[in-house]
Amino acid sequence: MVGAGLGGSAFCARLSERAPHLRIVCLERGDWVDRAAMPAYRRDWQRAALGAWATSPNVRLAAEEASQSSDYPIDDSASPIKPLMWNGVGGSTINWAAHVPRLHPSDFKTRTLDGVGDDWPFSYFDLEPYYDLNDTAMGVAGLAGDPAYPPKRSPRMPPLPLGRMGQTAARGFNELGWHWWPSEAAINTVDRDGRRACNNGGPCLIGCPISAKASADVVYWPAALKSGVTLRTRCVAQQVITRGGRAVAVAYRDQSGVTHEQPASFVVLACNGIGTARLLLASNVGDGREGALGRYLMFHPVAYARGMFREELDGPRGPVGTSIYSHEFYEQRAGRPFTRGFQLQITRENALLLQAMRLEPAWGAAAHHQLREEFRHSLPVLVMAEDLPDARNRVVLTGAIADDGMPGVRVEYTLSENSRALLDFALDRAEEMLRAAGAHRVTRVPLAPMTGWHLLGTARMGDDPTTSVTDSRGRCHAVPNVLVADGSVFPTGGAVNPGITIAAVAMKIADDLAREVIE
Amino acid sequence: MIPDFLSAIVDTLLPGDDDPPQLPTGTAAGVAARLAAHLVARRDSARLEAVLAAIASAARGEDAFVWAGAAERVATLRGVEAEMRGPFRALVALVLEDYYEAETVLLAMGWRTEPPQPQGYALSPPVDEALLEPVRRRGRMWR
Repeated sequence: MVGAGLGGSAFCARLSERAPHLRIVCLERGDWVDRAAMPAYRRDWQRAALGAWATSPNVRLAAEEASQSSDYPIDDSASPIKPLMWNGVGGSTINWAAHVPRLHPSDFKTRTLDGVGDDWPFSYFDLEPYYDLNDTAMGVAGLAGDPAYPPKRSPRMPPLPLGRMGQTAARGFNELGWHWWPSEAAINTVDRDGRRACNNGGPCLIGCPISAKASADVVYWPAALKSGVTLRTRCVAQQVITRGGRAVAVAYRDQSGVTHEQPASFVVLACNGIGTARLLLASNVGDGREGALGRYLMFHPVAYARGMFREELDGPRGPVGTSIYSHEFYEQRAGRPFTRGFQLQITRENALLLQAMRLEPAWGAAAHHQLREEFRHSLPVLVMAEDLPDARNRVVLTGAIADDGMPGVRVEYTLSENSRALLDFALDRAEEMLRAAGAHRVTRVPLAPMTGWHLLGTARMGDDPTTSVTDSRGRCHAVPNVLVADGSVFPTGGAVNPGITIAAVAMKIADDLAREVIE
Repeated sequence: MIPDFLSAIVDTLLPGDDDPPQLPTGTAAGVAARLAAHLVARRDSARLEAVLAAIASAARGEDAFVWAGAAERVATLRGVEAEMRGPFRALVALVLEDYYEAETVLLAMGWRTEPPQPQGYALSPPVDEALLEPVRRRGRMWR
């Protein structure tokens, strides 16, 4: 296994349980995060979110303070959406928001139902047992009965508090007769599994020092290590070594700079949609044939509408990515100026400094005045759009060698006309809701650049080797004993946060492999 | 560099206001003193120095900037911002960081001075399920 993030850890925990006779070694470029050093206890916690604890690896690399994330630079100059991630044990769950909606059943068959994208090689209901497994492992706070989804079998903790912002937005949605539901979150609302209940501290994106928020390092790795998985940190995989069309080893560099080879019968990659493509391209998997590898990169394009209210709201209190969501416009409907749909997500507000940073003008009396008006009186609606797969959006190698010994990596991405039309329509709907809820002024961010969390599709599953990289079991067409177990394998991405789908898919791929090696 | 030069820049960027509770100027919040320290300690101090030099040049000297009226100072900074946006915005970000972490500023903005942990925040109300009745009544939406 290469990569100890959510996909890698869920895979290792599941495979080690199902096939305990296997020897599993995981190579991770980063290290365990030191929770005591997380900035939420410090008075300078706001600036930490702009430096060593920023969500962008490029920003962290440029920060004054050294980051705990073991990053590599990403040339994102050709993408309006900037890739975000964490590189270390737990991967991007260290600084995710833990907002955990599932994909809809229709997301798995967009070609059949709506004539766009591609069908997945399995259905929502094939994946459902793995969603349930992940729910049990992480613990999910939420409320049963959302009509936007089939009934969910796994038990929920009580939902997180809506707060004044969620309550206000709920009134707006009800006024318009639109769907809304309390967020599903992998965040404890009661003490559970040795992890405390959330105290609404708020800035989940700089890590949760009390582990109320589920992350792969505290959820999956303890089980995987107990089952005998070996985790080697500070080891940067350099190449998957192949002979005769099969992988035989992974070359990696340890923290001393010494290169080793780890022999393997199977090599599984879970380094996210950029890191996995980078390693496969660097390893020449596919023998240089022009194919889908690195292509079909999907983000979820994000825009914001922000309503200003006379009454005082919550500001940055509460888990940042959660409150309520609306799937009123999630499913395809004829007559709209775009295909597919979007999620409206009511989040908590930025901290004071972060709110000041996004103002324009950024300084002077006008900035003071605007911040006075907005702080604790604004309500953000995050628009998350489905991004249809497009072969022109891709991850490529730069030709230069980066400090980690690997070829440099570049992202080339253009926002499609469909996504732009979708975002514009969605912003109109978000503003409609905010006005219905009582906003006296609404501002818009037409496309938020620092939102590229969801790195999907660059090793997509499918039957055709010219348009896909992996098969339904996550195996590379070109080298069948190389598997991928992260968001890279998604043929389409829906319009929801993909975290728990990544975990579920990784566990399904682990089960498929376990069945084979047991047989 | 004359000491008042940094204060004049900081107070043009962060003039404060007199609305109760009063928002202090950048210098009153300690930002000018912090900026002087940053110029000695930070890795990117050369970039910051370049911005300060550009401001002095645009104003025809540090003294001239200090003695200029408020509107003239704003115009000077806007000109430098237009000429060297990246470095200028780095300077702005740095002074905003110090300003919006200052206790007097946090309190003036109606916020607390303690970090999020360990006490967290009280948040109310809990989910009022009666609000969800119209949504429940809609029945199945998924395909």
